[in-house]
Amino acid sequence: YPLFQLGGPQLRIFRPNFFMLAVRPGVPQPEDTVQFRVSMEMTKVDIKNYLEKIYNVPVAAVRTRIQYGANNKRNHKNQRVKKPDYKVAYVQLGQGQTFQFPNLFPEKEQDAETRSFDDFKDKYMEREKQRQKGDPRRGGVPDWFGL
Amino acid sequence: MAAAVAALCRRVTGALRLSGARPGWAAAGLPGLTLNPFHKNLAKVEPLHQLKFLHTTLSRKGLEEFFDDPKNWGEKTVKSGDAWNIKQLRGKSSEDLHKLWYVLLKEKNMLLTLEQESKRQLRPMPSPERLEKVQKSMKNIDLVVKEREVALRLLQTGHEKPVPGEWRHDFLGRTYWYTYKEWPIPWYLNKKYKKRKFYYLSHVNHFIRLRLEKSLRRRVRRQNLERTRRKVLERKFPHLAVKSQSQ
Repeated sequence: YPLFQLGGPQLRIFRPNFFMLAVRPGVPQPEDTVQFRVSMEMTKVDIKNYLEKIYNVPVAAVRTRIQYGANNKRNHKNQRVKKPDYKVAYVQLGQGQTFQFPNLFPEKEQDAETRSFDDFKDKYMEREKQRQKGDPRRGGVPDWFGL
Repeated sequence: MAAAVAALCRRVTGALRLSGARPGWAAAGLPGLTLNPFHKNLAKVEPLHQLKFLHTTLSRKGLEEFFDDPKNWGEKTVKSGDAWNIKQLRGKSSEDLHKLWYVLLKEKNMLLTLEQESKRQLRPMPSPERLEKVQKSMKNIDLVVKEREVALRLLQTGHEKPVPGEWRHDFLGRTYWYTYKEWPIPWYLNKKYKKRKFYYLSHVNHFIRLRLEKSLRRRVRRQNLERTRRKVLERKFPHLAVKSQSQ
């Protein structure tokens, strides 16, 4: 970005490439707080303007923190694999709005294909279990024991 | 994020308010946007049936735009059209490209939220190829806008690049494009700049030669690999071989 000096023009970004995704909070948050993962370069002012201008959402307050991604895991070459860092923003909505993170995977009725597949799977498991059980005439005792 | 962005976004949301969700743009009769692009080309959304009834309710306060249409929640696959091509984008006006950029940005945010949620719930994400399509479209828009900017700049000032620069060597003998940076003091008073070396000593020539050889070897290896792959394919599928022009 061009350097800002006193009296110069304000920085204007015309096609912002910053992404912002809403996440389900791990810790229960108050009703008006929405949790986002934002790009690392965004500031609180940026996030407020982004939401207000692009999404038309009234924002009262924004708090951010940077989550460090661990570097402990190792791959097959014993090199350390880093999980990426990300910035988390807690946005409090204005005008008394509340937000609940919705359930994006509700139970839907399965189509014929999945239903038949599930039936097939259940039948197969039942058959396997029957085979595993010992002779009913011997009272469920395995064949390993003599006589 | 600034006032110019605000004005354009207000226009966008104004257009949205006029006639509901995105299909409404066609009804609002905005210049340059006809119904046709929505039929075949829009990156996602817009299954044809939505265009029939243009619902006039404004999408509630926008936080819903982080999530897909509630009808699509829990589906295994979601249908979506192809990505935007550069040729198609070149025909659009700058205003349309600007609006499309924001549409794609919101779509990308929605898809990223879906991806994260699916990872959280340990479920497969429905149709992850949408993300790639959106990214490709955004990259194409960027290219088209950059082309237009370069053309304008050439006409107005005669320069191609927004920031002046020049080719320089670094201390390892590599040649790179150095862009001029803005400093409040001249370069001969800048201690950090004077420590940087934009020349290389004669002992580096040996390493330049080695680097050149390495790059040549890599190039030759790549070409040979391509040739052998081509031969294998031609042997497997002789009927698909490209027939060379023979007199």
